Amino acid sequence: MAARRIELMLCTGTGCVAGGAFRIKQALEEEIARHGLPDEVSLVATGCNGFCGQGPLLVALPEKIFYGWLKTEDIPFLVQEHFLKGRPVQKLMFTPPEKKEPIPLLGDIPFFNKQMLLVLRNKGLIDPEKIEDYLARDGYAALEKVLTSMSPEDVIEEITKSGLRGRGGAGFPTGVKWKVCRNELKTPKYVICNCDEGDPGAYMDRSVFESDPHAVIEGQTIAGYAIGAAHGYIYVRSEYPLAIKRMQIALDQAQEYGLLGENILGTGFSFDLEIREGSGAFVCGEETSLIHSIEGKSPEPRQRPPFPAQVGIWGCPTVINNVETLANVPIIVTRGAEWYSQIGTATSKGTKIFSLVGKINNTGLIEVPMGITLREIVYEIGGGIPGNKQFKAVQTGGPSGGCIPNSLIDLPIDYESLKEVGSMMGSGGMIVMDEDTCMVDVSKFFIQFTNDESCGKCTVCRDGSDALLEVLTRITEGQGMSGDMEFLEELGLAIKDGSMCGLGQTLPNPVLSTLKYFRDEYEAHITEKRCPAKVCKNLIAYWIDPQLCQACLICHRECPAESIYGEKQMVHVIDQNKCTKCGTCLDVCPPRFSAVKKLSGEPVPAVERGIKVERKKKPARPEQEKVQV
Amino acid sequence: MLSEQSLNPRIGAALVVGGGIGGMQAALDLAAGGIKVYLVDSRPAIGGVMAQLDKTFPTNDCAMCTMAPRLVEIGRHRDIEILTLSDVQSIRGQPGNFHVTVKKRPRFVNETKCTGCGTCVANCPVRNDVQPLDVPRVELEPAYRDKVAEIVRRHRERHGPLMPILQEVNTAFNYFPASVLSYIAQETGYPFSHVYRIATFYNAFSVVPRGKFVINVCMGTTCYVRGSQRLMERFSDTLKIKPEETSPDLLFTLKAVRCIGCCGLAPAAMVGDTVYGKLTVKEVSGIANKYRGANGHGQTHAG
Amino acid sequence: MAKLTLDELRKKRAEAQKGIYLREGEFRGKIIVHMGTCGIAAGARGIVAAFLEELERSGTKDIMVTTSGCAGLCSKEPMATVEMLNTPPVKYGELTPDKARNIFKEHIVGGTAVAAYALGMGSERGA
Repeated sequence: MAARRIELMLCTGTGCVAGGAFRIKQALEEEIARHGLPDEVSLVATGCNGFCGQGPLLVALPEKIFYGWLKTEDIPFLVQEHFLKGRPVQKLMFTPPEKKEPIPLLGDIPFFNKQMLLVLRNKGLIDPEKIEDYLARDGYAALEKVLTSMSPEDVIEEITKSGLRGRGGAGFPTGVKWKVCRNELKTPKYVICNCDEGDPGAYMDRSVFESDPHAVIEGQTIAGYAIGAAHGYIYVRSEYPLAIKRMQIALDQAQEYGLLGENILGTGFSFDLEIREGSGAFVCGEETSLIHSIEGKSPEPRQRPPFPAQVGIWGCPTVINNVETLANVPIIVTRGAEWYSQIGTATSKGTKIFSLVGKINNTGLIEVPMGITLREIVYEIGGGIPGNKQFKAVQTGGPSGGCIPNSLIDLPIDYESLKEVGSMMGSGGMIVMDEDTCMVDVSKFFIQFTNDESCGKCTVCRDGSDALLEVLTRITEGQGMSGDMEFLEELGLAIKDGSMCGLGQTLPNPVLSTLKYFRDEYEAHITEKRCPAKVCKNLIAYWIDPQLCQACLICHRECPAESIYGEKQMVHVIDQNKCTKCGTCLDVCPPRFSAVKKLSGEPVPAVERGIKVERKKKPARPEQEKVQV
Repeated sequence: MLSEQSLNPRIGAALVVGGGIGGMQAALDLAAGGIKVYLVDSRPAIGGVMAQLDKTFPTNDCAMCTMAPRLVEIGRHRDIEILTLSDVQSIRGQPGNFHVTVKKRPRFVNETKCTGCGTCVANCPVRNDVQPLDVPRVELEPAYRDKVAEIVRRHRERHGPLMPILQEVNTAFNYFPASVLSYIAQETGYPFSHVYRIATFYNAFSVVPRGKFVINVCMGTTCYVRGSQRLMERFSDTLKIKPEETSPDLLFTLKAVRCIGCCGLAPAAMVGDTVYGKLTVKEVSGIANKYRGANGHGQTHAG
Repeated sequence: MAKLTLDELRKKRAEAQKGIYLREGEFRGKIIVHMGTCGIAAGARGIVAAFLEELERSGTKDIMVTTSGCAGLCSKEPMATVEMLNTPPVKYGELTPDKARNIFKEHIVGGTAVAAYALGMGSERGA
């Protein structure tokens, strides 16, 4: 490939594609061609860059200038100014909220410079559909090392020493799992990569598939070599079409290059991989369910032991590892266990990818060393809460995890500390909640989810989640009774004790942890019939402040229930009997009036119809938002 | 003069209907109080459903460990008479003095002599002779025939063929017509009940027709805290269908999905493979119209 | 394509590494070609192409070729500034592709500035 002066790394992860990355790509190609630059500027479609909240985005190399929130209209200007004339375009750079100066360089943006990239080392630097790009970044060097200079026992020893633990949630030591499987006498053996990433709010596995699929293939092949397997499966959920496509391309390339298949690199070791798709069942992320799903059986978990490492798919010993775990393997092999085990805390080694989402300024995927505090994640990498709202809690571990309150914000994140506070690592979703999030509503949401997804095999999980949901629904509807909280706690503990698989054993966590840290919110719902975050529909009312209403008629027009009385010059009034509490009026009320208010736990002040509007001083910028009167 | 007592003399015996764990305990308690008990069960043995369970709610105790001592005690108790294979036909009388007719069905085995060795089961020629059902072969309607047959042929020899077959058929027709499921069962050799169970287990599958465009509104945590519930309501209002329903013209199906992994763009919805991120309630009707238009049913705007 | 052996894999990898050196981030020096309207009119594009060709031919990986706006001395365009690590930048003027190749050989590879084309050493001082 010829030398280039500029390379543009355009993110084409799912997030950016949804934001129009392919349209941007086309526009860039056209503009580059129009200026006659194709020999000097090359465009690389990479996997997820991680800073999804800024998408669609690109990084211009070699200076590493970061451009976010691109629109097709901006492209001609960008190409002419920066790529032709060499003047980076300030207005497209990342500007932290509440600041004026943009930060041009990727390395200077706090979102990036606090991270530590091991698993995502190639993110945004390679084209995931080109094996050459992966090779150039020392790809398949670990496989080469393993096949030429290490025995399977050496590999297992190395992984054990590194302290790598399963990244899928429970944190089982990977080396131990491999050893158990290696020691089983029965053959053949299998390796399964678990990419059934069902936790709402977590998408790092998808991102790894989309940005660096060969790393997973390499890791899985090494796992195959270590345990003595000749065949493996990659189980992906069908909700990830792009990830499936890229993984299939990567598999085909690896097979073509002889990095998969018979007699790999002439070393006599043979290993093959095959993709199997899920079809939308959360419980399939549980390893025994996953096995049943591939086998075509009804995907319900079964009792362990025997563990899949002993009796797995088709009755044979099977290692099941999460995507992120496998993607860690090549770098451990190349850099050595000793180097790897220096990163992280005493019990949790290495890095962990989190998807930092929710009510936070910088949403996206982050890879950080274990032991980092929540404060660093939320305020430094995440850039704090939008709109100067109050940080309330972080929910980790998906529906199996719990909420960590503001008071524990200096908690170092590792497997043990999270467990101690009633949450768990899970697959790494990190959902930030602010003062506008109702914790009772959130725990109801999770129970709804697990209730839907419970396979129904264990009574405690199936009926217990029903009962939890019923009580939580009652509380959010203002029908809570005294004794409800105690009931939730008792039932939650019973479900934990009585369920067979991880889904049931952890499903009460969201309820139990919110009860522990946000008891006052439950109390407000139950005794005062008030929702402090003003979320629960039955406990709130919308009301137009007659002092602020400027009779612009927008809410009157937009109200889907036609519940707003409005006339020119007259204060608008919401008919509380007709109001469906959809919130449209609050959305459409121009911010400079902010006349629509949410009320909870207090009587709605009556406003008569036919009050004349009290004209305020002239609106700040009348030419921008014309008021139709 | 006859007293009420003499008209209705109390009998020192009780009848317990149903020999499950509840009936067994009741029988034991009554017998411990010195009352003669008749324990009636319509099945060949007492024990009920609990005997089939592994563990019990909510303590997770072993079911058989709870039951076994009671079974033994009942068997040995001289005041409890077990009537198995028996149905209560009628009850007459008043509290304290009932007259119950119990019909006992034949067992053909002398219970007092049987040792439970099982030889009769092993040697019975009738029981072992399984009569295959005369099931007619399923022929597919022309609309599905070639496509489904081709998909089945391609995957039949694979290890674990059912999921790939169902996935492709579902993609092809958007749902499973009943005849197609029977056909798959017949061709793969799985029982129909099993195929049906799989077809109804996964969220991506459906056994009722679905719209040409499936609108998946993400209800993942992030989207939820960012207000996807309201998007869903607006979609529901705009399309005049409830979540999980299909519009009568088979154009739209509205569904809630748990996380499509676009949390950076919350709230999001997915139509087909296209993801719409950072959606607001206002954009909903535009999206619906776009797909209506794509299907040639351009929305006409009044006025 | 035939399956790779170990040696072929290593060769492939080395070859691929040439293509992505811009992404690795360690640079010894930087060639800035001034591409204002005047520079482009005077033929700066040809200069960039010449530098890139030389770069590729020599297999040098730690030099960045980049562009910037007008340098303010329009009569001397096309111009380029060469900044090597730990040495003051050198500005060259009235370049041709051949001169550019020379600069590459002598200054970038050889380490001595080409006095014949140089306009001056060092940059303007900031206000």
